[in-house]
Amino acid sequence: MNPANLLIIAALFPLLSFLLLLCGGRSIGRPLSGWIATVLSALSFACSILAVIGWLSVSGARSDELYQLAGATPGASDVIRRPMLWLFNWLPLAQSSSAASNASPAFLQLGIYIDSLTVVLFATITLVALCVHVFSLKYMENDAHYPRFFAYLGLFCFSMLGLVIGATLLHIFVFWELVGLCSYLLIGFWSDRPAASRAALKAFVVNRVGDLGFLIGLGLLVWHVGNLSLPDVWGTLDASRISQHESGQWGITLGDGATISRGMLTFIGISLFAGAAGKSAQFPLHVWLPDAMEGPTPISALIHAATMVAAGVYLVARIFPILTPDARLFIAVIGCVTLTFAALVATVQRDIKQVLAWSTISQLGYMMLALGVGSWVGGLFHLVTHAFFKALLFLAAGSVIHATGHVQDLRSMGGLWRKMPITAITFLVAIAAIAGVPMFSGYFSKTMILIDAGAFASYAKQAGRSGGYLLLFALPVFIAYLTPFYMMRCWMLAFAHRPRDADLHRRAGEAPLLYGPLLALAVMSAAAGSWFGAEQMLVNATQEDTIFTRQRAATYEQFAAFDSIWPAEPPSAATDLAAASSAQREARRAGEALDSMWVTWAFAVGLGGAILLYVRGLAASQRLLRWRPAGMIHRWLLNRMYIDELYNLIVVNMTILVASVFCWIDRHIVDAIVGAAAASVRVASRAAGVADDKVVDGAVSGFADLAQDIGAAVRMPQTGRIRVYMTLLLSVLTAGVAIAAGIIFLAR
Amino acid sequence: MPVASPILGTIGLNHYLILGALLFVAGTFTILTRRNAIGILIGVEIVLNAANLNLVAFNRFAHGAAADGSVRLDGQIFALFVIVLAAAEAAVALAIFLNFYNNFSSIDVERGNTLKG
Repeated sequence: MNPANLLIIAALFPLLSFLLLLCGGRSIGRPLSGWIATVLSALSFACSILAVIGWLSVSGARSDELYQLAGATPGASDVIRRPMLWLFNWLPLAQSSSAASNASPAFLQLGIYIDSLTVVLFATITLVALCVHVFSLKYMENDAHYPRFFAYLGLFCFSMLGLVIGATLLHIFVFWELVGLCSYLLIGFWSDRPAASRAALKAFVVNRVGDLGFLIGLGLLVWHVGNLSLPDVWGTLDASRISQHESGQWGITLGDGATISRGMLTFIGISLFAGAAGKSAQFPLHVWLPDAMEGPTPISALIHAATMVAAGVYLVARIFPILTPDARLFIAVIGCVTLTFAALVATVQRDIKQVLAWSTISQLGYMMLALGVGSWVGGLFHLVTHAFFKALLFLAAGSVIHATGHVQDLRSMGGLWRKMPITAITFLVAIAAIAGVPMFSGYFSKTMILIDAGAFASYAKQAGRSGGYLLLFALPVFIAYLTPFYMMRCWMLAFAHRPRDADLHRRAGEAPLLYGPLLALAVMSAAAGSWFGAEQMLVNATQEDTIFTRQRAATYEQFAAFDSIWPAEPPSAATDLAAASSAQREARRAGEALDSMWVTWAFAVGLGGAILLYVRGLAASQRLLRWRPAGMIHRWLLNRMYIDELYNLIVVNMTILVASVFCWIDRHIVDAIVGAAAASVRVASRAAGVADDKVVDGAVSGFADLAQDIGAAVRMPQTGRIRVYMTLLLSVLTAGVAIAAGIIFLAR
Repeated sequence: MPVASPILGTIGLNHYLILGALLFVAGTFTILTRRNAIGILIGVEIVLNAANLNLVAFNRFAHGAAADGSVRLDGQIFALFVIVLAAAEAAVALAIFLNFYNNFSSIDVERGNTLKG
């Protein structure tokens, strides 16, 4: 079967589950509705796997033309498949100012675009979703709104799959909002908790801030490109086509001679990135994700760790070709800031889910950094591996939380490994993956990112840029040391040492439905890096997508930057291009050297540090905190660097202030105007009422009275007595005949 | 052919017409004064027969006998139709009166004033 059809079917199964449970969830009942959702989710996963197999066996597209366009040489390992693209017109548009791409009438389009990236993400999302479904069967078994939970899960899976299959940015945006809605519904799932509904609202509002940027970016793209389909956008605004005009300005000349300046292109890129930053919880807009942990833990695993928050990374990856060097640098800096501060905050959190939430933000920062420094494959590879190990971490945490009766505070746990060995071991596997222990999945993706970051920094140094670029490598490396530390700290506090709360320890235990998914995800966390060919498929994706950018660009121009690592190797068309690519290769070697020098043993340092510090429980760390500066930093980090308070102070208070000003204006000025208008209307209507009563009604009732009088008069002879009628008739007839006879007689 | 009468002299058309008029007036008077429905029906029959008399008389005096001795009977046939019609009418009227009686327990036409406006 065609992989495209399989993927569409895979996306529709969760929708079916949603509709079934939405309409009949209550009557289907408690265990059955969950099992229905789980089976449909499993079918969706099966379709995705079949689609992967089908996709890998597509061989018809091995034409030389494609290789030439992608600038690659045919090899046995990498087959360039032609991406599948279907578009259909949705809403007609007024002609854009510079209908650059073509003269056909402009439409807002929806559609389906399938390349290796889509296929990989489908497999990832459906697998994680299946695990979360199975886990939820047990985790949510006593919840009052059990069917609704699974209905929302189905809607979410459908939306997420719809997002990654979208062929136009508009399509992506629609499903983007749908996953946002699901996130809102599921964060606030326990709506009787005020904290949960507040967190849901916060997530929604913060995402709106980012989505404003997204919408602005979309609007500008429609204006300049004429439509939003990914190939058109890539082909028209491919950042590698930026060149210097005669006027000395940098920009892209569009098909009809209009130009779009480099600054505008950067602005578009950053606007779209703002949406991604909101969804992926990047630095200024990260505040919603830690609060989102108020939702049920399976939701945290699926939506707020593995899939939805990665949608921002996915979006940036999809608009990657149009990002200018400036926009990429911006993204890299934001990603770098995010990954650094989030890891620092994660180090001191006491709530097990908060540690994981901040760790998620930090890892998303890694992905953004990767995209920013041009490591397209690295960023998305990390997305895939992170989906597995972070889902595993959250589900393991959920298992702990379920076992302990909804205790999340690490300080009251401890010694749980005896009671829940499988959870402890799978958790450890996930830690190995996130820490970058060799041969675990995270090792491959993170190493790739750090090598590219190192290459980026080296390239910047060669190009004579400032030393600040070095931070884009140094900070991620530092965090690569810190990540194993805080994750191991979490594990040590939860599972190792002696129980700190005997009562809690006594309650704890495991259930097969809970640790089954953990085992599956543990296998994936360990193996997804080197097996299953995810990396190779992502490399293929770069070449597949490049076809679209190259088909439309007359010449591929290497422009003066180090950011053009995507596609992996520039074509050797001209000599200076060859020079540029050799410089890139050199930078890459430098990056590899930096990586092997600084990063290889980072996991051991981090893990070892955490084991040493927490091997005796909390005692050592508490001694450390007695030192005042450490205590202050600890409090600062524990309170999330007071960023929420800052937002509260500035944004929320500002909003309230503005609102109260407008409230005053409304109450005292607008209301006064409205009141005056109402009073004048009342006076006028009273006058009109009097006139109506006396004049119009008088005339009408006059006529009515007249008609009544006439009627009464005419009614009088209607006695109903037939003899009276007859008498009348005859007398009139006789009189008439007499008069006629008289007239005739006289006329004679 | 005129018939001679010792008192009235030759009986001509006017005699018949006057008799018809008297019968008509008598019938009409009966209709207008009777409260009993049967009486009214009798009045109607008298009025019809007044008309019949006129028809027959007009036939006799308008056409007379033709030279060859043939006779035209238009008026008489009209009169026969009227008699048949009167019989039918009496049947219908009597049925109406039966219903009337069922509704009002009487055939006093003064009681049937429920159509009064």
